Amino acid sequence: MIELESIEYLEKFKQGMDVFLATTDFSVGTTPSEVIYGEDKMRLLHYIPTVEKQYPVPILVVYALVNRYYILDLQPDKSMIKKLLAEGFDVYVIDWGYPSRADRYLTIGDYVNGYLNDAVERVKERSGLDKITLMGVCQGGTFSVMYAALYPEKIKNLITLVTPVHFDTNKGLLHVWAKNLDVDKIVDYYGMVPGDLLNTGFLITDPIKLMIDKYVNMFERIECESGETEKECQLRNEETIKNFLRMEKWIFDSPDQAGETYRQFIKDCYQKNLLIKNEMEIDGKNIDLRKITMPLLNVMAEFDHLVPNDASRPLADAISSKEKETLVFPTGHVGIFVGSRSQKEVCPRIAEWLGPRSLLDGPGEKKPKAKRKSPQSRKNEK
Amino acid sequence: MEGTPIESTKEFYDLWLEGYETTFGRLLEMPAVGPLRERSEKMMRGFSNFSNLYASGMESNSHLQSVLMEAMRKTYAKTTTEMEGEIGPEKYRDFYKLWIETYSKTFKEFFGSERFASDLGKFMSHSLDFQKYNQEMLEENYLKPMNLPTKAEIDEINKEVYSLKKKVKELTSQVRELSEKRKIPS
Repeated sequence: MIELESIEYLEKFKQGMDVFLATTDFSVGTTPSEVIYGEDKMRLLHYIPTVEKQYPVPILVVYALVNRYYILDLQPDKSMIKKLLAEGFDVYVIDWGYPSRADRYLTIGDYVNGYLNDAVERVKERSGLDKITLMGVCQGGTFSVMYAALYPEKIKNLITLVTPVHFDTNKGLLHVWAKNLDVDKIVDYYGMVPGDLLNTGFLITDPIKLMIDKYVNMFERIECESGETEKECQLRNEETIKNFLRMEKWIFDSPDQAGETYRQFIKDCYQKNLLIKNEMEIDGKNIDLRKITMPLLNVMAEFDHLVPNDASRPLADAISSKEKETLVFPTGHVGIFVGSRSQKEVCPRIAEWLGPRSLLDGPGEKKPKAKRKSPQSRKNEK
Repeated sequence: MEGTPIESTKEFYDLWLEGYETTFGRLLEMPAVGPLRERSEKMMRGFSNFSNLYASGMESNSHLQSVLMEAMRKTYAKTTTEMEGEIGPEKYRDFYKLWIETYSKTFKEFFGSERFASDLGKFMSHSLDFQKYNQEMLEENYLKPMNLPTKAEIDEINKEVYSLKKKVKELTSQVRELSEKRKIPS
């Protein structure tokens, strides 16, 4: 009995290794796009439409500086970007790139008033509209909230996904740890805060599951189902491993953080909680959330271990918008983009909310001019 | 010294540290004299940096070890109750699940505590002091004498470039605004 069990596990391990060794190509972010603007390390991507008729108001997606934007386009069959395109939206994404030591002095002001504002201007210019939809994810959502408060005249709709705005909570481990961090020492020593250091922090939020169980489960999932041919089984298992590797790549693809931005984000947000109190300043300008008047859709993940609901929910009460909706899905921080509910529930609900708000308001709103392609546009290299 | 081996080790180390700080530690902090005074004093600082790092490392390690012991105890208790003491290979899956759940829950509870946050903050702070000290020593004793650029000098240039870039962006934007204004007939 014992021998049989051991042989079975060894067989499974061998089978897993065979599939693992055969899987070399697992590309991410495969939805076709073009780079329409670049500034320093930042690139603005425009996704090629997949339907003939699109909503006139475009969406600009703002991802966090931590990890990379392609979590929204991780798998060809589970891509939030692809789904939004299929729903008829015109989608742009900011790729912050990989900042280097030369970028250590970049501040939140440089990101929000500089790169983000320039990206908004480019999208406005291409669409011929005065206002666009801003969709911020995680820290990118926090930046989007700051932007919407500073430039409400440029934003038609604001969508925040798993976005922290109220940082004084003990529900998430990052919130607990950040309070004791001597951020000045970290930034003064490193200059650019290493992505690996931040990743270690994310890993120890649940080290046993993230460093052991995840890998054990990967091998456990490699098995043939009854009625499946060997070829079908092989193909399905290869896809399972590819998706696993895509996620692994995303998790450990962590750009370093510009030191001054990190310093201000930890101090003003995590340690002093200034944003929700309307006391935060960037480039000498006060961020008053009450100046946010456009419709807001605040999307949260119920089991988010990085951005607890307590950190996101207060946004709706802090702003002056008349139309505001909060959605909570029973999933996790990453699951909201790649989990089974993402395609079936999250994207359709966002589309349902955004669709009617992505039409021109009427005579008051400028009609879009003919779309102009930048001569420097080039295919996004994947 | 009584208690668990970890607590005893920690207690022993605390005693050793106290002894060090009142004897050799004081000696090493004595003001230096002579032509190499500045350099000697900086180099001596390394000992206290290291002892701080070691002390915070010991403290957080002992807390972590206690949590590990607690997780082991809980797993053992659950094995006897939930699995009726049978942990043979045929029950591998059940045991693995029990082990993962128990360890994960115990560690997550500890990592969410103020104690861990304080340990982490202290350890990182001392670790950065120590690394910064090593970097300074490397610059002082090797890079500068060999006439090679230091991190501080590169940072200085990066700051200059950053400020210039920002100024150019500001001016470009102002020029664009002014040109657009000139185009509009008054």
